[in-house]
Amino acid sequence: MTRRYPFLRLASLFVAGMVAFAALPALAQEGEAPVPPDLSDESVVGVMTRAVDGFVRPGYQAFETSAGTLAQAITAFCKTPSQQARETVDAAFRQAVADWGRIEIVRIGPVLDDNRFERILFYPDRKGTGLKQVQALLQKENEADADAAAMGSKSVAIQGFGALEYALYGTGAERLSAKPDSFRCRYAAAVASHIEATAGALAAAWDAPEGVQRDWKHPGPQNPVFRTGKEAITALLGILVHGAEAVRDQRIETFYRAGGIARPRSAVFWRSGNTWTSIDANIEGLQTLFDTSGMADLVDPNFRSITGNVDFVLKSLRRIAPTVDTDIDKAVSMPEEQRKITFLLVNMRDLILRLNTEYGGAIGLGAGFSFADGD
Amino acid sequence: MRPTARLDRRIFLRMAGAAWLAALGPRASFALSRTDAVFASGYMARDGSFGIAVLAEDGAIIDRTPLPARSHGMAFSPATGHLVAFARRPGTFALAIDRSGKQEPVTIAAAEDRHFFGHGCFSPDGHLLYASENDFDAGRGVIGLYDARNGYRRIGEYSTYGIGTHDLCVSDDGRLLIAANGGIETHPDFGRTKLNLDHMEPSLALIDAATGALVERHALPAKLRQLSTRHIDLDARGRIWFACQYEGPRNDLPPLVGHFGTGEDITFVSLPEQTTIGLANYVGAIAVNRREGLVGLTSPNGGRFVVLDAATGRVLREESLADAAGIAAAPHGFAVSSYDGRFAGRHAEVAFDQHITGLAPHC
Repeated sequence: MTRRYPFLRLASLFVAGMVAFAALPALAQEGEAPVPPDLSDESVVGVMTRAVDGFVRPGYQAFETSAGTLAQAITAFCKTPSQQARETVDAAFRQAVADWGRIEIVRIGPVLDDNRFERILFYPDRKGTGLKQVQALLQKENEADADAAAMGSKSVAIQGFGALEYALYGTGAERLSAKPDSFRCRYAAAVASHIEATAGALAAAWDAPEGVQRDWKHPGPQNPVFRTGKEAITALLGILVHGAEAVRDQRIETFYRAGGIARPRSAVFWRSGNTWTSIDANIEGLQTLFDTSGMADLVDPNFRSITGNVDFVLKSLRRIAPTVDTDIDKAVSMPEEQRKITFLLVNMRDLILRLNTEYGGAIGLGAGFSFADGD
Repeated sequence: MRPTARLDRRIFLRMAGAAWLAALGPRASFALSRTDAVFASGYMARDGSFGIAVLAEDGAIIDRTPLPARSHGMAFSPATGHLVAFARRPGTFALAIDRSGKQEPVTIAAAEDRHFFGHGCFSPDGHLLYASENDFDAGRGVIGLYDARNGYRRIGEYSTYGIGTHDLCVSDDGRLLIAANGGIETHPDFGRTKLNLDHMEPSLALIDAATGALVERHALPAKLRQLSTRHIDLDARGRIWFACQYEGPRNDLPPLVGHFGTGEDITFVSLPEQTTIGLANYVGAIAVNRREGLVGLTSPNGGRFVVLDAATGRVLREESLADAAGIAAAPHGFAVSSYDGRFAGRHAEVAFDQHITGLAPHC
């Protein structure tokens, strides 16, 4: 049973109020514009260092740890099935989903190498390709498919969270407890181990002192990633803008669009009831990166309302996301839950505009960040 | 059969497009028909709304046509006076305006499982519109064929023999289509994320406009596989000039511009090192001024505007221009725009998009 939030009926008014609030500083300083910061190579080192050391690296490290815990929990459950062991698996799965969700917003850098992103989470599986592969695999019970070490050379659809969720929560998962060391359970453990290995590779890539972290922290003419401070800050803002767009377009609107046809079976992690765990973690990741990096400090102090508004919208989103019903069938059909999702969509759009246009403009990215993301 | 999410979006766009077209009225055609209308460019207004600006030679905005979302490149047919603006990739709509005002504006919805990819061109007689599109499930570029005389009905498609197709041109005789296959794979499920930077396949393809058959395909050598071939224009000799964006290490200095003729190998222009650095490994637009034998390049990332001699490839002019965006041939040299509202020396309270389309004969 979820709590009722009558104020959600005023979702659109809430955003309108925010816009009026945001306009106040502009009126007070008519004709003025924020003075853009100096984005020289040296001046961005602090922000980039905090982003890498305070968010990206801890994010991948935490994910590696929770993926390892999950693999251990599943292995133990397979050997000795019990209600308690199953509950430990459920908790570990939820933690791993949350830890991935926080760092998932980073869609740049080593995670794009070797299809690591898709290896961790193959989603959306719009035509059920991955599901069919996993179902066939479970039907055949070929021992080679339960080998974590060999998993990397196979289809990305059978080696990530999607496959793991189906093995643990999909049709037939109730039989996992029926006998020790079933093929399905060992396959699930192998997938979790493979996710841990991929997470470990990502953590290692970011932890190497002379690797990508150095390139991100110290832009300069010889840097293979960012030649200038402006390029580095643009990429950092890109994580936030693209991350927010992904939450709206690729995590929520894939199963619910106001006025459209709801598709609860298309929601990420719907089988395990972790849809909102994942989405809330995404938003938490955006919030943590924005706060930890100190990006707000780059904005002209006379226009701090710009970053204050970003903070306000993020907090509003985080207040609502965990309260939506975890049963996605109910979430998309009950008016009260629909209003919450609509609230999230409306305010996510607002967040994108504030990051892209207001914040981007304030730090000297002309018409905003994504406008400069040319073609 | 249950419609897909993308179909929903298209239905929504059609509905939104209908209301928007009704509000548009004859203004768009009127603006285009003015004799002083020389250029067109997409823009974003200060309130975040989008549109097409029609501009005079001196950069003054003559009129604006609102659009429901951001546009990118445009196609103009001098033969029919039709102008088509394409949504930014991955786009689901294009808008066609008849300069004479004889036809109502038409919204073109992207076909199921296809997205517009920002550019297109007309056949010389203006009867066919060719649009660069993405078959995202198959991960391949296609050219959508639209009948301009029949409400822009989609009548077929050709392969571009590559992936990540972006710019598209047609030869002056209409026989060849030239596709800039940037080589970067994207998918709507991942927004604008570049999915294959470690195994890109850039190429330039010449395609028989009558049959869709491949005539020539120029794949970039392995050492330049991260050099995305994205924009093209034709010079007076029929040579194809292409401009690139490099996805490899930022401290590399790859060639960024080149040319080739039918039956020839690709030739890269050897730019001075400082010019290459200034272009920041990212040429956003290219234009040829045929009458004066010039090739113009812009780089928003580098804040640079460069003019080359088309005959020799020598740099004739190089200027800093913050947020340099579009470029098009002008009576003398080039008209250049910027993200912060500059156009041919004037300033407007809009952000101009990445491309300018010439509407006058000299272009």
